[in-house]
Amino acid sequence: MSFFREIRQNKYLYALALPGLIFLIVFAYLPLTGHLIAFKKYRLADGLWGSQFVGLENFKFFFMSSDWYKVTLNTIFLNGLFLVFGLGIALVLALFLNEIRHLLYKKLAQSFIFIPYFISWLVVSMMTFAFLNTTDGVVNRTLETYGLNPVNWYLKPVVWPGILTLIYVWKFAGYYSIIFLAAITGISGEYYESARIDGATRLQQIYHITLPLIRNVVVVLGLLGVGRIFYGDFGMIYGIIGDNSALYSTTDVIDTYTYRALRVLSDFSKSSAVVLYQSVMGLITIVIFNQIAKKIDKDSSLF
Amino acid sequence: MNLNRVKEDRSLWERSFVYGIYVFVGVFALLCFIPFWLVVVNSFATESSIKLHGMQLIPKDFSLYAYQYTMAGKQIASSYAVTVSVTLIGTCFAILITSMYAYVLAHQKVKYRNYLSFMTYFTMVFGAGLVGFYILVANTLGLKDSLWALILPYLLNPFFAFIMVSFFRTLPYEINEAATIDGANDLTIFFRIIIPISKPVIATVSLFYALQYWNDFYLALLFIDNHNLHPLQIMIRQIISNVNINSYVGGSQTTYSQAIPTYGVQLATVCLTIGPIIFLYPFIQRFFVKGITIGALKG
Repeated sequence: MSFFREIRQNKYLYALALPGLIFLIVFAYLPLTGHLIAFKKYRLADGLWGSQFVGLENFKFFFMSSDWYKVTLNTIFLNGLFLVFGLGIALVLALFLNEIRHLLYKKLAQSFIFIPYFISWLVVSMMTFAFLNTTDGVVNRTLETYGLNPVNWYLKPVVWPGILTLIYVWKFAGYYSIIFLAAITGISGEYYESARIDGATRLQQIYHITLPLIRNVVVVLGLLGVGRIFYGDFGMIYGIIGDNSALYSTTDVIDTYTYRALRVLSDFSKSSAVVLYQSVMGLITIVIFNQIAKKIDKDSSLF
Repeated sequence: MNLNRVKEDRSLWERSFVYGIYVFVGVFALLCFIPFWLVVVNSFATESSIKLHGMQLIPKDFSLYAYQYTMAGKQIASSYAVTVSVTLIGTCFAILITSMYAYVLAHQKVKYRNYLSFMTYFTMVFGAGLVGFYILVANTLGLKDSLWALILPYLLNPFFAFIMVSFFRTLPYEINEAATIDGANDLTIFFRIIIPISKPVIATVSLFYALQYWNDFYLALLFIDNHNLHPLQIMIRQIISNVNINSYVGGSQTTYSQAIPTYGVQLATVCLTIGPIIFLYPFIQRFFVKGITIGALKG
């Protein structure tokens, strides 16, 4: 009763929310039924409800193979590298940018560092190829000039966690340093003034004032990142690695694995089982680490 | 004497520390910029020079052939049309739906706003994942090889919605009361008063949406097979991996005396794709800085 009264009273407001609400129901809630396919032997002709129920068969298939820990480990390991180096180097950059008093230099440097954030992963992939391709790549050409042997980068899985980390840092250092700089700018100038009067060097000011005061932001960003550790960046990995199976052993993450299972093998059931495994693990880690983040800092917790 | 010595040492150390900072930041900025430079500059190099010397910081010969070749084909025009229309239509609808939705989530009068907020938040922590989403768009909605498949799935981004919610919450509620007393209903208040005073956040979130639409290749990868509907990003992917560049780019009808500029086409297409972003970059940069700051620190 009170429900309808509320709707009628604020009918225009609920009308404003309606398109968004419909969107969420159609594009976020309706597809949740897709998780059921994980327990079925899905055939397009039978549809979602008509397909045969097979219990945990699909999961057994995934967990019995060596695939599951390979893609899980790759996902966690790569995301871990991205998180540590991405946040670490962005933090150093933000601290250093904050020390630069020459405003034009600071502005130009910041603009350059932020540019990579704006381009797509396929453009990044093209650039990577320009650097690393075997015959005409910048890196191999340079190696040759110094009399060294060219390396067949696209056939060497060992080096790719490093290369991908480098690319990640290149693309997101600007993004994260903006967040850190915003936190640094919020620090009162009085702390630095009194530190200077006491004869503290710049490095001491960074270490004893800036770092402790932005610690929370760093920790919270880190925790939120850990919360999303089961979600690989599909656009990045697939954009750069694509269908190069020579590199799967170190670069295949859960997201690219499920994509291939669906689009290449057309195995909806297997793909769906892996997706459900990822969603559940993701839910658990996100909820846990968001809770911890919330405890540390009430303001910056929501995500 | 001794104290002066310490001071001198210290100021020397200070100065070299500051120089070190300038160098580190400068080098990092340069490294961020070099790939762009290489791509742009070498798109004007001749194919033979790239094959002979590799990509160079300053190529010796200049040629527009890669652009002539790329522009002569049909693919670049149709890909451009797809990307531009998806970005324009998508951004307009997305910002409209998101701002309306966020306004309600932030509105004190709405009793169920917290339920709506939770419903929105939940989609961020527990996703349907690839399979359910694919079946919905491809089978249930039947949008395979339709431009709507590139537009609809991104119309409401919960993260952007919450950025707007946090902005709307900062608006004084008295505006609302005053307008209500003057006889305005909630629709009038939103479209006539709230939207005009929210221009900064609307501009910011619109740019985020536009960038997302422009750069996305995931949706096209999943749902678009017809090459007439390939957006620019998929065109780049095709050019990198496609063996038959000539027929894909669509220059096959024209006869050329020179060979196909494989690298040239790749570089030129990339430049044409990132061109608009790079040109607009000086003007839009501050909006992104603001958006990232609100999104991360206020939530």
